[in-house]
Amino acid sequence: MIYLDNAATTFPKPREVLERMVDLYAAKGVSPGRGGYDCAQEADELVSGVRKRLCRFFGGDDPDRVIFAANATDALNLVIQGTVKPGGHVVSSQLEHNSVLRPLQHLREAGLIDYDLVPFDGQGFLDPDDFSRAIRPQTQLAVLTHTSNVLGTIQPVEAIGAVCREKGVPLVLDTAQSAGLVSIDISAWGVSALAFTGHKSLLGPTGIGGLILRKSFDVRPTRFGGTGIDSQELIHTQTYPHRLEAGTLNILGILGLMSALEYLDKQGMEEILRRERALARRLWEGMAGLKRIKLYGGPAWDRRVGVVLANIEGMLPADVGAILDGDFGIATRVGLHCAPLVHRTLGTGRAGGVRFSVGPFNTEEEIDQAVEAMARISRSR
Amino acid sequence: MTQDETTPGSALAGRDSGKVRFLAGREVFFDADGFLADPSQWSEEIADLLARESGIERLEKDHWQVIRFIRDYYLQNGRAPLHRELKKGVGMSLMEIEIRFPGGIKQGARLLAGLPNPKSCGM
Repeated sequence: MIYLDNAATTFPKPREVLERMVDLYAAKGVSPGRGGYDCAQEADELVSGVRKRLCRFFGGDDPDRVIFAANATDALNLVIQGTVKPGGHVVSSQLEHNSVLRPLQHLREAGLIDYDLVPFDGQGFLDPDDFSRAIRPQTQLAVLTHTSNVLGTIQPVEAIGAVCREKGVPLVLDTAQSAGLVSIDISAWGVSALAFTGHKSLLGPTGIGGLILRKSFDVRPTRFGGTGIDSQELIHTQTYPHRLEAGTLNILGILGLMSALEYLDKQGMEEILRRERALARRLWEGMAGLKRIKLYGGPAWDRRVGVVLANIEGMLPADVGAILDGDFGIATRVGLHCAPLVHRTLGTGRAGGVRFSVGPFNTEEEIDQAVEAMARISRSR
Repeated sequence: MTQDETTPGSALAGRDSGKVRFLAGREVFFDADGFLADPSQWSEEIADLLARESGIERLEKDHWQVIRFIRDYYLQNGRAPLHRELKKGVGMSLMEIEIRFPGGIKQGARLLAGLPNPKSCGM
């Protein structure tokens, strides 16, 4: 199989990441910090080490403000629902994934908040001035995707962060598509909270993600339970990180994340991004010359990751994806990519498109085979 | 012979804005995308009628080969065949199947075989 669905999850995962994760789990996979025995303390030290590492990785300012969650969607729910208050307003964008849109819509339908979504331009980029104009006196939060999961465009976070800082509105950054690929510094960018997932470009397993909160930004707990500290109190602890973590941690996932961060350090994130961009560009340029193929967004490669959205005139993207899979052994993601407003804006709101997303293990030969497959499919009708 | 009716008041009221139609001598329920709401309502006569509406003048042997394979597979396994299973089962490439049905594979062949609407946004 030629795997071009890395924006959904990277595959395969590096074997050394998986092996180290399993070895560590076999040796130290007890409930971290919950018991008085040495192994529990060692497990807790491992978890604390991963918090420190993630804090540095994303430019955070306090490892205790590294909160583990199941994935980016879970982390976004935590931060959005734990921040807004009745009567509040949120600014976000038309580029967002349902991981942002649905929590906002849920809160709107519950009568708690209202929200506005700023548009993106023909290339798939947001304008910081639009954010500035959308912020109202009641605005409590701005939520922004760092990188579109449909168009691959990297948004001007630093400029939007400056707008939010000037207006006194905390900015939440969704890095589901950028973490592990694009260098991030939330302290320098004026970001109050960052949501990440471990299983995409961070190259870790599924089921682990989290939040990085700045020290100046508080989030209310929205779920409650055992934390291993302050157990005498019936009120959930207010101490970070446990304040936002209830129940036993996903230690297997955390160890996987640790192994993945070590792997990325060795490989070099910049080199991976450079390679993925080059492959996506090759794919784009190969398809750009084909009749009946429509590409979306623009070739601003210095501001894109390795995602290319295409359609073949007169064919359903679902069928193009089926043919790519069944006849050519190429795995892509078709449909709306859980980002319905992006597709609505692009004019593909009903059936979506065919998304090719390259990963660290794709080759030029695979890209050329994908171009050839699209050429043959486009000539079939 | 077809006769369309609107949903309100019918047994389908409240079901995904679908509609009920009078086809092949009985009420047949469809969802909003034109898929049979209840796969057990399928019949060859209904497949023929829907095929004509989709632009296929007459279902030929190779159409039936695809439709019957998809339908039999669904009845035996409770899901549509995987892409490679479909290809092997009918002895045609997916490109060849797609060309034969104006609605394509998912909204053509699958719909005519009376399978439920795949709710995934990728279908």
